[in-house]
Amino acid sequence: MHEYAVTESILEIVQTEAEKAGGGQVESITVVIGELSTFVDDSIEFYFQALSQGTIAEGATLIFEKVEARAVCCECGMEFKPTNIYYSCPGCHSPVFEVKQGQELYIDNLEIN
Amino acid sequence: MKIEVKKNILASNDSIATANRELLEQNGVTMINLMASPGAGKTSVIIKAIEGAGDELNMAVIEGDIASEVDSLTIEAMDTTALQINTGGACHLTAAMISSALEHLDLAATDLIIIENVGNLVCPAEFDLGETARVMIASTAEGHDKPYKYPLIFKEVDMVLVNKIDLLPYCDFDMDRFRSIVAELNPGVEIIELSCTEGTGTGDWSRWLLKSAAPVSG
Repeated sequence: MHEYAVTESILEIVQTEAEKAGGGQVESITVVIGELSTFVDDSIEFYFQALSQGTIAEGATLIFEKVEARAVCCECGMEFKPTNIYYSCPGCHSPVFEVKQGQELYIDNLEIN
Repeated sequence: MKIEVKKNILASNDSIATANRELLEQNGVTMINLMASPGAGKTSVIIKAIEGAGDELNMAVIEGDIASEVDSLTIEAMDTTALQINTGGACHLTAAMISSALEHLDLAATDLIIIENVGNLVCPAEFDLGETARVMIASTAEGHDKPYKYPLIFKEVDMVLVNKIDLLPYCDFDMDRFRSIVAELNPGVEIIELSCTEGTGTGDWSRWLLKSAAPVSG
């Protein structure tokens, strides 16, 4: 359900950026979501359909780009792919690791006409 | 025409949270973001905080609920300032909601603000409110395996209160296992075992609050 607030933010950024560029109708929005982020793209899509009505983003296509999770173990330095933030290093089983990528949530680009 | 944006979607929440944090620091106010699932005992834990530290600290409570004023009326009955935020369906509080609430408080005369976030273990963990510390409650009736299911919140908090320990004989809750799972997710995080019903551990909770929030002089 927290995708509602995220979708509001997406629309705010899209409107500001599109107006800066001349205010054309938005055709597509590329959103980057890390695998470890708890945000669900289907849910963002659902809220977007409702919230974008009557805005310059109405009818725009949402394109989601997923970023693979990567982490480095703080004990042995091994790089691995955690499937969850609750995870142990496959090398030394330490639970303490630093996430290098996979928690992203940003708008990469817009297409406007 | 393609426009490169590269903007963090939660940036507007985060920048308001930073402004909240600065405002609180300027006024010497500590703000605790209290998170838990529905029914874990958030309001009871706040009542124990008022009973245990209310004489020494000027406290205010911000109540976040999807609907109703039930909780803020309970707090006001204890002669403590309570502000009610009804999120109208949203499952968490945002930094902007807290920013508006702070405008209604006399920050210069306040030592400690406790925010009772909406009952939920998922969404509140994603939204920085500008708090000084994050505290969560896990209650024994929920089972010791909850950190596996909601790892983010257990990873993000500065303190875990285990409430309803008076129910341990009746619940499937292994305290040692719970402690070891939490320690793996969040090494070094403080855990206080609590029973708001029987008063066990409430002294530790008050002492932690008194240590976290320095009283305003005068």
